[in-house]
Amino acid sequence: MTDVLVTGVGAVTCQGYGAAALQQAMTGAVAPVPERIPDPGANLRHPLILRVPGVAPGRGRAARLVTTAVSEALRDAGLERRPWPGRVGVVIGSCMGEAMLHESGRCAEDDGAGWRPTFRLASAVGEWLGAFGVNTSISNACAAGGFALCLAADLIRSGEADMVISGGVDAYSRVGWASFDRLGAIDPVRCRPFDRERRGTILAEGAGILVLESGEHARERGAIGYGRIAGAGWSCDAHHLTAPEPTGEQIVRAMREALGGSGEPGCVIPHGTGTRLNDLVESRALRQVLGARTGEVPLYSAKALVGHTGGAAAALGAVAAALILRSGTVPQNVAIGEQDPECEVYLPVSGPVRLRTPRVMVNAYAFGGNNASFVLEQAA
Amino acid sequence: MTVITGTGAAVRGVHRPADLLLDLLPPGGDDPVTRLKGRGLRYKDRATKLALCAGGDALAEAGLLLDPGLAVPGESVGVVASTNYGNVDTVCATVSVIAESGYGATSPMMLPATASNVTASWLAISYGLRGVNLTLCNGGTSGLDALHWARTMIDAGRVERMLVVGVEPANEMVERLAGPVFDGAVALVLESAGSAAARGARPLARLDGYARRGTHGQAVAAVLGPSPAVGLWCAPERREVSQVDGARVHDLTALLGPCSGALGVAQCVAGAAWLGAGGRGDVLASTTGPDAAAAALLTSAGTSPATPARPATAGAAR
Repeated sequence: MTDVLVTGVGAVTCQGYGAAALQQAMTGAVAPVPERIPDPGANLRHPLILRVPGVAPGRGRAARLVTTAVSEALRDAGLERRPWPGRVGVVIGSCMGEAMLHESGRCAEDDGAGWRPTFRLASAVGEWLGAFGVNTSISNACAAGGFALCLAADLIRSGEADMVISGGVDAYSRVGWASFDRLGAIDPVRCRPFDRERRGTILAEGAGILVLESGEHARERGAIGYGRIAGAGWSCDAHHLTAPEPTGEQIVRAMREALGGSGEPGCVIPHGTGTRLNDLVESRALRQVLGARTGEVPLYSAKALVGHTGGAAAALGAVAAALILRSGTVPQNVAIGEQDPECEVYLPVSGPVRLRTPRVMVNAYAFGGNNASFVLEQAA
Repeated sequence: MTVITGTGAAVRGVHRPADLLLDLLPPGGDDPVTRLKGRGLRYKDRATKLALCAGGDALAEAGLLLDPGLAVPGESVGVVASTNYGNVDTVCATVSVIAESGYGATSPMMLPATASNVTASWLAISYGLRGVNLTLCNGGTSGLDALHWARTMIDAGRVERMLVVGVEPANEMVERLAGPVFDGAVALVLESAGSAAARGARPLARLDGYARRGTHGQAVAAVLGPSPAVGLWCAPERREVSQVDGARVHDLTALLGPCSGALGVAQCVAGAAWLGAGGRGDVLASTTGPDAAAAALLTSAGTSPATPARPATAGAAR
C-alpha cells in the first residue's frame, strides 16, 4: 500500500494568514466575534460573517484565498523551486466556488469578461502552478474539502499522481450566506457547537491546503511530513437534502471505515457546525463508534475558532489535525456556555490535553447527506 | 476490471440508449421528465428531473432496481454526477429574487438546490444509494472524468458499483450565460466485473482505459495501445483533432447539441450500445476542454483485458 504523507500545510482563516496564525489562535482559544457583512445587498436576518482580514477588494476572492494557502503549503513542504519531480495533481473542494464573481458577472458592474464558471478554483490553482496532472474541482457542499483530500490520497495510492495539492476554500457570496440565513441555520451570537444554547452556525471565509505526497516521492527529496493519511470512509445518508439522517447510521459507517481495524483515535475534529440536529446526531454517532471510551477521546471543535468555512471546513480540520499531531497536544476548545447534556462528548475547555494516541479523525458532513471521515496519523 | 451493466437516456427524441448512435433524431418527441410522478417534483430543478429519469433507467437495465428498493445493499452503490450548468437556473433565480425583493422572498424549499451537488443528492435519496456521492463540474472533460472517478471508487473498494450520470438542462439562464446546450441526461452503471458476475448481470462493455492530458493527441495516445482496433470513435465537441484510422466517427454534438458535462457519459452510453449489439472493434471516446483533454477506451465485455489490472487503492484500508 502506497503511503500518503502530508508534507506541507497552508491556512487562511478569520484568525489570519498561515498555519502559525491558526496554531496561535488554537492555543489562545478565544472566540472570534462575527462582524456585519459589509455588503449593502445582503439583506439578511442575521447578516454575520467571519471574514478573512486584509483581502484587497476586487474580483475572484476565493481564488486569492486559495492561492495564498497554496503558496504557504508549498513553502512549508520545501517546494518553492520548480519544476517539481513527478506528476503533480490539484484537487480543490468548494461549496460555493467563485459564486460572488459569478453573481457580479450578471450585474451592471460586469466588466464584460463574460461567462465565469463558478467552480474554477482547481483550474486557477493548476494554471498558476503549471501543474499538468489530474485537476479536479469537488463541489460536495460543506464536505467538499474532506472529499477532495480523500480523492487526492486515492490518486496517489492508485498511481495517478506522485503529489497532489489539495484542500478546500470558500469566500463570501450573497447567495450562500442568504441561503443559510433563510434556512434559519445562523446563530445570532456566535458559532458555539455542542453548546446547550446553540442556535446555528456562523459562516466564515477560509482556505486550507495540504501537500500530499507518496512516501517514496517525499523520501526521495528528503521531505519531513506531519503524518500520513491512514484511512478514509465515505457514505451517503440518502435521506434528506438538508437534514442529517437522525439515527446517524451512515456517519457511523463512514467513521468506522476511516478508522479501519486499527483502534480508536487520539482526537476527533468533528463536523460540529453548531446547528441543533447536526451536533446531536454526530455526538450520538461518536458514542456508537467510540463506545465506553467516548468520555476519554478529546474533541477539538475547530468551527468554534474559525467559523463554518463550508468547503474549506474539513481541509482546515485536516490542517488543525496536522498541527495537533506535530505538537502532540490537543488544544483547549473555545469555551462555550454550558455543554448540551444530550451531546455526551469530551470537549476539553479548561486547558490543553496530551494526544495519547497519535491519530486524529476529521469528520465532514454536507447537504445531501454526504459524509466523509478520514484519519491522519503519525508516520512510522 | 470494470464493466458497464446498464445504460439510460432522458433526451427528447431518444427512445432507447442505442438511438444515440443515430445520425439524426426524429423531430419532436415527449419531454422525458413527464415520466416522473409523485410528490416533490415542484422543488426539483430540471437537471435533477432529467437525471432521475436516465439514472432510473440505467439502474433498471443493470437489474439493480426492485419495486420498491434496490436488489443490492444501498451501501454498495455510489453516484457521480457530471454537470457544468446543472443548477445554474436555481442559483440565478435565487440571486435575482434576493436582488429584487430581498432574501425573505426566497423559498426555503429551493435554497438547498442552490448547492451544486443537488442532483447527485436527489439520485441518492430517490433510489437509496448510500455509497460515495460525488458531483463533478469539470468543464468539457467532465463526463469522461466522471467515469474515471467512478472506476477509481470501485478500484479503491469504496463501492461495488457506481451510477454515472451526465446531465445538462437547457433553459434561459444557461443559454444567456453559456449559449445553447442540449437538454437531457444520460447514465450508466459501472461495476466491478466480479460484482456483476456474482449477481449474474450481463456486461454491455468494459472500461479499459482512461487518460486526461494536456492535449487531445496525448490523451488518445495514452489509452490506445500500439496496435489500436477502434471501430467507433465518439469524437469531441471541437474537431480540430486528428482522425482515428479505420473508425466510424460519431459526433454526438451534431446529434444532440453541445453536451458540455454530459458529453463523455453520452459517448460511453452510445459506445456501450454499439458494443452490446456486437459492433466491430473498440470504442474510443474523447472530449476536450479549454485546459485539458480526456479519452476513454471501451471494449467488448467478452475480450481479454488489454491493460493490466490497476492496483487496488483500498481507500478505507490503512
